[in-house]
Amino acid sequence: MKLAQTVTVKAPRDKVWGIVLDVPAAARCVPGVASVRPAGSDRYQGTLAVQIGPVRLVLDGDIAITARDEKAGTASFRADAKDSRVGGAIKATVDLALADRSGATDIKIATDLQVLGRLGEFGQPVIKRKADQMMGDFAECLARAVAGR
Amino acid sequence: MTYDYHEPREVAEALHLLVKHGEDAHLIAGGTATVLLLRQGLIRPGHVISLRAIGALSGIGRAPDGGLRIGATATHRQAERSADVRALSPALTNAFASVATVRIRNQATVGGSLAHADPAQDPPPMLAALGAAVTAVSPRGARSVPVEDLAVDHFTTTLAGDEIITEVIVPPLAPGTRATYVKFLPRTADDYATVSVAAAMRLADGAVAETRIVLGAVGPTPIRARAAEAALAGAKPSRERLARAAALVRDEVDPLDDLRGSAEYKREMARVWTERALLALVEA
Amino acid sequence: MSTHDLRFTLNGERREVTVPADRLLIDVLRDDCGATGTKLGCAVGVCGACSVLVDGELQSACLLPAVFVEGRSITTVEGLAKHGELNALQEAFIRDGGFQCGICTPGQLIAATALIAAHPEPSDGDIREWMMGNLCRCTGYYGIERAIKSAANV
Repeated sequence: MKLAQTVTVKAPRDKVWGIVLDVPAAARCVPGVASVRPAGSDRYQGTLAVQIGPVRLVLDGDIAITARDEKAGTASFRADAKDSRVGGAIKATVDLALADRSGATDIKIATDLQVLGRLGEFGQPVIKRKADQMMGDFAECLARAVAGR
Repeated sequence: MTYDYHEPREVAEALHLLVKHGEDAHLIAGGTATVLLLRQGLIRPGHVISLRAIGALSGIGRAPDGGLRIGATATHRQAERSADVRALSPALTNAFASVATVRIRNQATVGGSLAHADPAQDPPPMLAALGAAVTAVSPRGARSVPVEDLAVDHFTTTLAGDEIITEVIVPPLAPGTRATYVKFLPRTADDYATVSVAAAMRLADGAVAETRIVLGAVGPTPIRARAAEAALAGAKPSRERLARAAALVRDEVDPLDDLRGSAEYKREMARVWTERALLALVEA
Repeated sequence: MSTHDLRFTLNGERREVTVPADRLLIDVLRDDCGATGTKLGCAVGVCGACSVLVDGELQSACLLPAVFVEGRSITTVEGLAKHGELNALQEAFIRDGGFQCGICTPGQLIAATALIAAHPEPSDGDIREWMMGNLCRCTGYYGIERAIKSAANV
C-alpha cells in the first residue's frame, strides 16, 4: 500500500535535513517506538508497538538509510520488522524529499508498505488507515521537533 | 491459543478478574468475534472471561418510562424477535434482523457487538439514531455512554480495560417520531453493509422538528450526519430539501477503499441511500 | 490452559468429555464424539456446513467454544433419522434433488429442521432468508428449496 504525507516546517532545509537523517531522534516521533539502537553503518534496530482495536503488535526490526543526497534534499530508508507472536511482518521503503519554500521547508514522505502474514489478513484497508494516521502523526511531530531545535 | 477460561456468575466477579489479569484478559460473550480473533492468533490472552453466566446481563424489557433495556448478553436474534423492541421501533427490529445470518444472530450478543466496534455493523447506527446509551460498569462505578460516542476508531471504543457493558438503554421515542434503517448490500445477503443509513425524524406542523441521521460502514465509526440534520431543522421536508440535505453527507463520511467498493463509490452511495431513507421517512 | 469437564446430550444421548478451554464444538463433535456428519467448511461461520442445533437453536459449531455447551442438548444430522428411518425432510431432499455431492447437506438439513420448527408453513421469502446462510456449490439451491417446501407441505 502506498502512503503519502506532506508537511511544511518553518525552518531552513539544512536544519530539517539534520533531523530527518538522525534516525533515533526522528524515531521518537513515531508513536509506539520503544528503542532505537545503532546496528552498523546507517542501520538501526528497534521495536514498534502498535494497536488496532484488540490486536496488539510488537514489531521487532531494523531500519536502514539506503540513499541520501543532501544537495537534492532526498533520502531513502528501508524498514523490515516482524511480530513473531501474531505471525506477521512489515516491509517498507520510505522516500523523503525536502524542498525549500522561502525560509520554510516542505517535507514530502512517500511510503510503500507491505503487510505480510497473519497481520496482512486482518484487513488491509484498516491497516492502511492506521498507517496513514501514524505517518501523519509522524510528519506533524517532525515539524514540531524541527521548530523546537 | 492457550488460555484459562473463566465463567463468573456476577458482574463484580467479572470485574475482579479483569482487574486481576489486566491486559492479559479478554472478555467473551457470544464469541463470534472473539473466537475468530483467537483462532487467527491476532489476540493472545492468558485469560478469557465469559459473561454468559451472569444473569443480570441478560434479557430485554420495557423500562417504566416506556423506553427499552437490552441486556448486554441478549443475542441479536432475541432482540430481533422481541415484541418490546418492535413496539418501540420496528426500524430497530429491522436493524437487528439485518445482521448476517440467523446462526450469527443466535450467537452474537448486542453488548459484545457494541464493544467490538466494527464500523460496518447494523445495530450501532440505528441505536445511535434513537439516542441509545450503554451502561458501562467498572470497579469505579457505572457510567452512561451514548452509543454515538462509544466507538472512536476501527474496533476501538472509549471503554477502559476494566469496563464491561452491562446493558443498552433506548429512551422512549417522542410521539410522532418515525424511524427507518436501510442497508445497501449489493453483494450477498449475509454481508456487512456497503453503506447503511439509520434515520429518525419527528415532524411538527409539517416541518422537521428533530432528526438524527447516522451512517454505517462509511467511516472508522458510525457517522452522525450533523450537517444534513442541520439543513433539515425547522424546514418543510420537500423532495428538493431532502436531496440537498442528503448531498451534504458526501463531505461527512470517510469511507475506505475495500472489497465493497471504492471510497468515492461509497461516498456517492451514502448520498443516494440517505436521500432514499429520508424520503421513506417523510412519505411513511 | 484450563480444562473443563463437559456434560451435554448429543442426539438424545448423554455425553461426557473433558476438553481444554480452547476446544471448539466442531472438533468435539467430529473427533471426541465421532459424529463426523457435521462438516468443517469455511471455519469462520459463513458457509453453514457446520450448522448444529443447540437447545433447538441453529448455531455454527466452528464458532462455538465447547465450554459453551455444558448442560445443553445438541442435535446434529445423525439425530434426524429415527431407528434407521429417514425423516420426512431427508426423504424430501432425496426425492426433490436437494443435494449432489452432499458436503453441505448435513448443514442444510439441520438449518431446514430449525426453519420448519420456527416457521411451520414457511413462505418462499422465509425459506430464502433463513437458508441463505447455508452455501451449496452444486445444486443451485432450487432443489433444496423444493425439498423444504415439500417437507413443510407448502
